[in-house]
Order: sequence, then structure tokens, then C-alpha cells
Amino acid sequence: MKEMVRHTAGRVYLVLLLVSIVGFIVFLASGGTDAPEHGEAFLLFGWMTMPLVSGVAFVIFWLISYLIYFFFFWPYR
Amino acid sequence: MAFAISALSIFGLVIVLMAAYGYRISAKTAEDYMLGGRTIGVVVMFFFVLFAISSAWTFYGFPGLLYTQGPGYVMFIWGSVAGFAGLYMFLGPRLWALAKINRFLSPVEVLAERYRSPLLRLVLSLSILAFIVPYVGIQPLGVGAGFEALTGLPAIWGALYTTVILIVLVILGGMRIVAWVNIFLGVVYMTALLGSLAWAVQVLFPDAGLVEAASVLAQERPAMLSSPGPTGQYTPVVLGGTFIVGILAFSWPHVAIGCMTARDKSLFKWFPMLIFIFGGLFFYIIPFIWGSLVAPAAMPVAELEALAAENGVSLQTEADRVVQTIITRSLPQWFGVFVLLGVIAAAVSTAAVQLMTSSVIVSRDVIQGIFVPNARDEQITRWARIAVVAIVVLSLIVSFLYQGAMALYLTDVSVPGFAQWAPALVGGLLWKRGTKQGAIAGTITGVVYLVLSLLVVVDGERILVVGHPVIASLLANTIVYVVVSLVTPRPDEETETVFFDEVDAYLAAESGSR
Repeated sequence: MKEMVRHTAGRVYLVLLLVSIVGFIVFLASGGTDAPEHGEAFLLFGWMTMPLVSGVAFVIFWLISYLIYFFFFWPYR
Repeated sequence: MAFAISALSIFGLVIVLMAAYGYRISAKTAEDYMLGGRTIGVVVMFFFVLFAISSAWTFYGFPGLLYTQGPGYVMFIWGSVAGFAGLYMFLGPRLWALAKINRFLSPVEVLAERYRSPLLRLVLSLSILAFIVPYVGIQPLGVGAGFEALTGLPAIWGALYTTVILIVLVILGGMRIVAWVNIFLGVVYMTALLGSLAWAVQVLFPDAGLVEAASVLAQERPAMLSSPGPTGQYTPVVLGGTFIVGILAFSWPHVAIGCMTARDKSLFKWFPMLIFIFGGLFFYIIPFIWGSLVAPAAMPVAELEALAAENGVSLQTEADRVVQTIITRSLPQWFGVFVLLGVIAAAVSTAAVQLMTSSVIVSRDVIQGIFVPNARDEQITRWARIAVVAIVVLSLIVSFLYQGAMALYLTDVSVPGFAQWAPALVGGLLWKRGTKQGAIAGTITGVVYLVLSLLVVVDGERILVVGHPVIASLLANTIVYVVVSLVTPRPDEETETVFFDEVDAYLAAESGSR
């Protein structure tokens, strides 16, 4: 981790991951995975519930960030 | 019954033979026994770690809690994926390099030498052992529950079978064979988990599969399709807290020790990809679908309550084996046996790594580190093997006496306990100013607060728990660690050189830096 904070790409990477964690917690805290008060629960493709969809989106964000940083900017080969 | 016993015998025999082969080819050194000679590559490491963290809990406890409380508990998984990947991305390279340069054999040894404190070594060893040992025992007991659901025989037989396999595997094989056996166990486990889901969906919801299951729930138990779930447990605050608890998975000692077994640093570049793609986007979604969609749609909660009453157990205990119950009822018996093998594989793969980690700590950190500093290699290895048996017996007794819901034990007791060495670990690897006084004071504060918060109950409420047992205890631990470190003399120059400057230079030179 020390090697990451020593260059701009690493710092951007760390900030992005931190923002995604904070953003995800804010999303959860604001009731993003709850059903509408008088409506039906959100289902993607007819079966994927919001707790699943939001988590998958979170993991994909981390995956893309990791791929870009580790395969193009990581200071160690 | 004869088929089940035959299958269990063959399965057990394969593991025992692999362990015996591992014993024959091992170098008979402490480094080889405890860290697999530091030769684990990325593929073996992936199976090693993924199935070290995917226990009977993944098949029983996780779907069981989803079944009773809705999909909110999955936030623990999303946090864990980030935590495991974070361990390998942020801390792994330094932990690996430090251990390799200085021939350290345990993560506790790394920190004891970093802070130059035998007392910290004892404190960390005892606190880690206290929280990991009961979790080892949960695995055989978890298998016992599935064994009972499948065969109708007492759960103790399933627990004993798993225990014997576990002891033989760890005593003979050591860390390398535990890692290699995890490939075999992982394949069995994954096939059983995925195969059972695909087959059960086809049998139970033949018209539209998962969409049909979701529509059944939408009509009969709609609260299962969103948070806070049918019991209202997963409020926005609890969801966020569960996610944070998941992130703390980076501090699980039996996962952290995996970093020290790596063959080279390139592992830390590739490993997170497997965690994200295979773990986060595939593997853990299978038990989620089982517990949050298929099981509740296939078996109404009233029916499970009646079954729990019939068996004289709580609803949560019955829910912990709902997947096995549905498989037993709806799929051919031979497949139920195969699924049980998968669960045993999951239990053994996790408990074996936990056992290895515990025995390394007992032998290297407690016995050699405190009492017999000049012990020889063969003595350390022998003590580690003896410790395996002692830990298994102790863990089974503790787990049997304090049986509870499997999923909640992991998140409410083990994870908060494991997290108490996190400030000392992170600070020790990344913060030059961290001192032994800070690490000792922080760890003791966190552990004492955690134990008190679990034990002090007033009017049925754990009054010292703020949201989740880990939050206040870890916060207190971290604050004390930082404050005490800042008010005590900074570590000497030699510590800075050995634990920071040399590691930076080694990591840069070992594989070339840009």
C-alpha cells in the first residue's frame, strides 16, 4: 500500500475505492435496497433482488478499478 | 445407507492418501510443514484461500440466515470480497516480503518482532486462539447437522467422521497438502453447491426457474425480496454495519497467513482478479440464491417451523440445514450423499487451514516464542502436530457446549475477535510510528471491551454493543493504539530499517520496479 501512495495513479486508485465504500454505505443507509413503501420490490431479470444487484455493481466497480491499476500502473511487475 | 457409507469411506480414504503422500514428499522442516516451504502459486493459493473461507457456513449458516431474515445479510459477502482482495492488494506484498526476508513462520511472529515485544506475542496469540478455536469446532458440528438431515443418524457420527479426517490431514500433510487438498475439496464442494442449485431449480420450479421462485415469494412472502426482510432486522444502519464487518475479513488470521506461503510477488497481482470474478461474481451468489430465493419459495416458513418443533430445535437451527433438507426431499438420495460430501469438503477445507494456523501459533509463538526460544525445527513441528489434536478436542467441546446459530457465531463472535489484531497488523506494516505499548494497550482494550460487550446483558440487551459487537471494540482498540503510540517513544532506527526500508528495497528489486 505504501507503494500506491507514492504516485498519482495509486492515490487515485485508493481514493476511488474509498469513495466506492463510502458511497455504498450511503446507498444502504438511505434505504437503497428497500422496497418502495407501497410498491413491489425491485427485481432485475425477474429474480435479482436489489441487495444482489447493488453488490454485484460494487464488485464490478472494484474489479475494473483493480484491472486498470494493477495491469497498467502498479509499480512492481 | 450402504451407498452413503461407501461414498463417505472412499471420500475419506482419498483425503487420507493425499495427506500420506504429502507427508512422504515433505522436507520435514518447520518452514515446509507450517508454510508449505513458501512455494504456493496463484492457482493453488486461490483454491487454498477461497475454500479456507468457504466453510460449512457457506452451505448451511449463510443460506439459513437468508431464509429467516431476508437478503440483507448478503452485505457481509460484498464487504468480505473487498476485505479479502484488500488484504492481498494492500498488505499482502509487505507481509510476504517481511516473512521471506526474515524467515518468519507466523503472522504473530512478524508483529512480535516488528514491535520487539514478547508480551505482545503472547497477547496476540491468546486473543487469536480464543476466537479461532471455537470456530474450528463449528465445522464438524455443521457437518453433523447435514449428516443427520440426510441419514437420520445422530449428528455426532458426522462430526466424528469429519474430525478424524481433519486430524489426519493436518498432522500428516502440513500447510502444503492442506492447500493442495483444498483443490480436490473445492471441486467437490463447488460441484455439489452449483449442481444442487441447478437441479433443485429444475425440479421445483420447472416452468420459469428462478423467476418462478421469485414470483412465488412475491405472492407468499414478499418481504423476502428486499431489505429489511421479513423480521425487519436489516435496517439501513444494520446493512451498513454488516457490510463493514465483512470488510474486516482482511484480518482473519487463517487468511492472512496465506500471504506468507506465496511463491513470489506476482501472486499479489493476479490473486485479486480471482477473488472478484470467481468469488464475488459467481461462487457466493450460489448460496445466496439458495437461501434467499429457492429455499424459501420451496419450503414455506410455517412448514420449517413445524419441522423444527418436531425435531425439538429452534427455527434458526432448522433453517441452517434447510438446503440439505430440500435436497433430501426433492432430489435422488445418491445426490443428497454427494451434496453431503460437498459440505464435508467445505468444512474440512476451512477447519484444516484454521487448525494449521492455530497450531503454528501455539508451537511457534507460544511454546517457542515464550518458553523454549532455542527449540529445534523438529521440536517445533512436533509441538504443532500435538497442538492439532489438543485444539480439535478443545474446539469440539466448546462448540458443543455453546451451540448457536452458525451464521451469527461467525459474524457476532469470530469476526469481531479476529479484528482485534487488525490495528496492530495494519499499523505494524504501514505506520513507522506504531509502538509496542500502543499495540499491547490497543489489543487488550479491544479484546476486553468485546468480551464484556458479549457477556454483559441487561434486560435481554447487550448494552455495550453499539450496532454490532465489532464497532465499539475496534474503535476503542484503534484509538488506544494510535494515542498510546504517539505518546510513547518512537521505535528505534533499526526497526525502521528492517521493517520498512529493507522491505521497500526488496519489493522494488525482487521483481523490478517502474
